[in-house]
Amino acid sequence: MKRTIEVAAVGSVLIACVAGLAVPPDSVQGDLQRIMYVHVPSAWLAYLAFGITLIGSVGYLVTDKLRWDRLAGSSAEVGVVFTGLALATGSIWGKPVWGVWWTWDARLVLTAAMFFVYLAYLALRRSVDGAERRAQRSAIFGIVAALQIPVVHFSVIWWRGLHQPPTILRPDNPQIDPPLLFALLLAVFAFTLVYVALLNRRIDLAVAEDLLTDAPRADEHVAGAAVTAPQLGDWR
Amino acid sequence: MIHHVLVLVRSELRNERRSGEVATVVIPFGAVAVLIIPMAVGIDRPLLSQIGPGLFWAIVLLFGIVVTQRQSGAAERPQHDLLTLLGVDPAARFAATAIASFVLLVAFEVAIGAITMVLYDPVVIGWGWLAVVLPMVAAGLAMIGTIAASVTSGLGGRGALAPLLVAPIAIPLLLGAAQATEGLRVGAGILRWVLVLAVVDVLLALTGVLTARPLEES
Repeated sequence: MKRTIEVAAVGSVLIACVAGLAVPPDSVQGDLQRIMYVHVPSAWLAYLAFGITLIGSVGYLVTDKLRWDRLAGSSAEVGVVFTGLALATGSIWGKPVWGVWWTWDARLVLTAAMFFVYLAYLALRRSVDGAERRAQRSAIFGIVAALQIPVVHFSVIWWRGLHQPPTILRPDNPQIDPPLLFALLLAVFAFTLVYVALLNRRIDLAVAEDLLTDAPRADEHVAGAAVTAPQLGDWR
Repeated sequence: MIHHVLVLVRSELRNERRSGEVATVVIPFGAVAVLIIPMAVGIDRPLLSQIGPGLFWAIVLLFGIVVTQRQSGAAERPQHDLLTLLGVDPAARFAATAIASFVLLVAFEVAIGAITMVLYDPVVIGWGWLAVVLPMVAAGLAMIGTIAASVTSGLGGRGALAPLLVAPIAIPLLLGAAQATEGLRVGAGILRWVLVLAVVDVLLALTGVLTARPLEES
């Protein structure tokens, strides 16, 4: 199943690349607009990944099962990568269009803040020893951190800034031509598959890390060694 | 439970009165920051008057973290264990620490606000609204700080980690407060920003109370 998802992710990324290059350029921005096929899916995945972190955090607190914590931590890690990608691609697009790499727009500032919130979440996870202790503390911070997500999303509506308001997720009709919308949705689908594939791999790694942490080290004696049968080598 | 909260709040504030950490260290430190910023941005009175309220909120956020991470009597291991044995609800402990931080943060805001008024001479209309916005920001910051202090309790590098946890999460509070103050300055409505602050405060209060017990167990 995991292998199938990975193959599907690679295939859909290739198709999305072709679609993103094949659709006509934007009537105002020209080819510059094509970076949106990376920027928008990355931003969407940031929301999705941090939303999954929230679900994993609540799931752990309700069930006390470590697999929820692994889901939360792994999703946050992948989400941080995609948030960084959204910030970087937004900045690259902003230079020719807005004339600056960075501007003090509410959406940009809050997205950067969200990036740092989840970096802090990952730093917290690294600071706590013991899987259960780490899971409990990071689950609580994971819930608090999720307060940022709606604020980031609605920031373009609450604050008048340079960043455009929602184009697709808006109450009236989407303000985008059908071919461009198709390419964008294809990219969103492809990126989502990439996220699922990365998340699967990261969870496997988290399971292996927990096993490694719990396993006795080579230089450690197992409890009760004093009462195990004497080894002949010790008597010679 | 309310009795427990009141006793713990009194204890926290008594500790602060004895140590004077906020009054003799954090408030003077914040005042120094208010004083030196004009030397960095240039002594331009109209500019300082305009940016004064924003700087005030930035200082409240950054130095407010220090207030929330101060030494807390109830957080010491022996007292913590004693309170657990006495059957004090973890939610009561969260509420008490947050309320004590709230009181100290309001005092900090008033002190730094007065210094900012004197040094920057900002134009602020609608003082009544400030009496609403200041406590709401203090409450939000106090709750975030209390949660962060509990989450990082007993960890190595706690001193660096707690501010990293608090500062980015407190940005919605900073933005709401700064926008409200700007709205007062230009005479626009600020009810929306007050509502944003209220929603953030309510969500933090719910999160703090509901997660107090799991934090206790960790």
